[in-house]
Amino acid sequence: MKKFLGLLLAGAMVMGTLAGCSNDSSSAASGSDSSVAKKEGENFTVGFDAEFPPYGYMDDKGEYVGFDLDLAEEVCKRNGWNLVKQPIDWNSKDMELNSGTIDCIWNGFTIQGREDSYTWSVPYVDNSQVFVSKKDAGIATPADLAGKVVGVQKDSSALAALEEDAKDLAATFSDMIQYSDYNTAFMDLEAGAIDAVAMDIGVAAYQLNNRGDAYVIMEERLASEQYGIGFKKGNDALKDQVEKTLLEMVSDGTFTKIAEKYSDFGMTDSVCLGK
Amino acid sequence: MNFSVMLQLLGNGMLMSISIFLLTLVFSLPLGMVVAFGRMSKNTIIRGIVKFYISVMRGTPLMLQLILVYFGPHFLFGVALSSNYRFIATIIGFSLNYAAYFAEIYRGGIESMPKGQYEAAEVLGFDKFQTFFKIILPQVVKRVLPAMTNETITLVKDTSLASAISMVELFDVASQIAASKSTIMPIMVAGLFYYVFNFIVAFIMEKIEKRLSYYK
Repeated sequence: MKKFLGLLLAGAMVMGTLAGCSNDSSSAASGSDSSVAKKEGENFTVGFDAEFPPYGYMDDKGEYVGFDLDLAEEVCKRNGWNLVKQPIDWNSKDMELNSGTIDCIWNGFTIQGREDSYTWSVPYVDNSQVFVSKKDAGIATPADLAGKVVGVQKDSSALAALEEDAKDLAATFSDMIQYSDYNTAFMDLEAGAIDAVAMDIGVAAYQLNNRGDAYVIMEERLASEQYGIGFKKGNDALKDQVEKTLLEMVSDGTFTKIAEKYSDFGMTDSVCLGK
Repeated sequence: MNFSVMLQLLGNGMLMSISIFLLTLVFSLPLGMVVAFGRMSKNTIIRGIVKFYISVMRGTPLMLQLILVYFGPHFLFGVALSSNYRFIATIIGFSLNYAAYFAEIYRGGIESMPKGQYEAAEVLGFDKFQTFFKIILPQVVKRVLPAMTNETITLVKDTSLASAISMVELFDVASQIAASKSTIMPIMVAGLFYYVFNFIVAFIMEKIEKRLSYYK
């Protein structure tokens, strides 16, 4: 019995030390102070959904790229920071940000409806939420969606719009299905299980660019909004640093140059800085 | 993205899945033994605590446990986390969960030993320690192998749950490629990866089983 108890204690100690190590390394990484400026050589960790092209996704070589990540890369280069691209589960983004494992959410992140939950940078993209459907489905106006099944991403601004401002429209749907990523929603659309997907126009443009012309984006917009970089509430010091660099990039034309890289997906039209 | 790049990326994801798998086994196999002893302890307090532990580990989703192990230190105790903790939390979460399952398998094996084995050992002058390690344990290992194979194969597939705390393992890589290429194909290929890996695991376990069936 004593031996077993000893083993049990030993086991507990091993787990304890493991937990201990991790705590040590973490407390060193970022203090609990909410407003911390970064110095040269420090890590700048960007949290993003790697399934959200063209803002953050995996390119042909397996590198994480995208409009937002390219901007972050340039901001880090100018500040001498070390960019860490951390793909996150979109459902856990607040937990990631608040626990300090990421420094900001920079990933086509809609400001409207979340104004008070984060410390925001200036808006840099004008975004719209749109409906995408199959071309031959004959869905041309929101009224055509009556009795149809519509897909939307969990905790997305399209969902927020359908739950609030466009509540009456959503009430006409036969069902609204929430997906954790747009690719699955699109596969469902392709398979015929749903009739339309409500999504960000940039992502829609990317999908249509990849999938050919069997789909259409509805003329009428579901909602219009803006993207910003979301920092932990109260972390103004870091926000100011990033924003200052971002605005410098706008005035020397680098911002527009990066947007042009993604012009196939409509980025040059949707950016709202540098025009 | 050409096919060979995709295979290489999925291969990297597979490596992450395999390291979760192997490290979980390294920690949970012995820990399971400790838990099994606790579960069979004559001390009611220890037995009660261990029973509760097992029922929680088996009774709640592993995905939820991973989220709790990862984010718990911050939201319960205010510790600031670093991203390095992600991997450690994954291993702790998986090990704690699998130890509970392994413990019950071990217990089943140990309790299935006929009383005669203990009596014979006593007659031969073995002490408790020797009896367990020289007579009981070797037989238990043989008996629990099929159940352990089951559980080990489940573990291979469960590694995909680590994506809940943003570990970039095989399934996560496949979904990311699928999203950027707008196709379902990488996920199918990932399925093949899992299958091949499990085929190897099952093959090795079968070899071990054969080697241990020396009385047949």
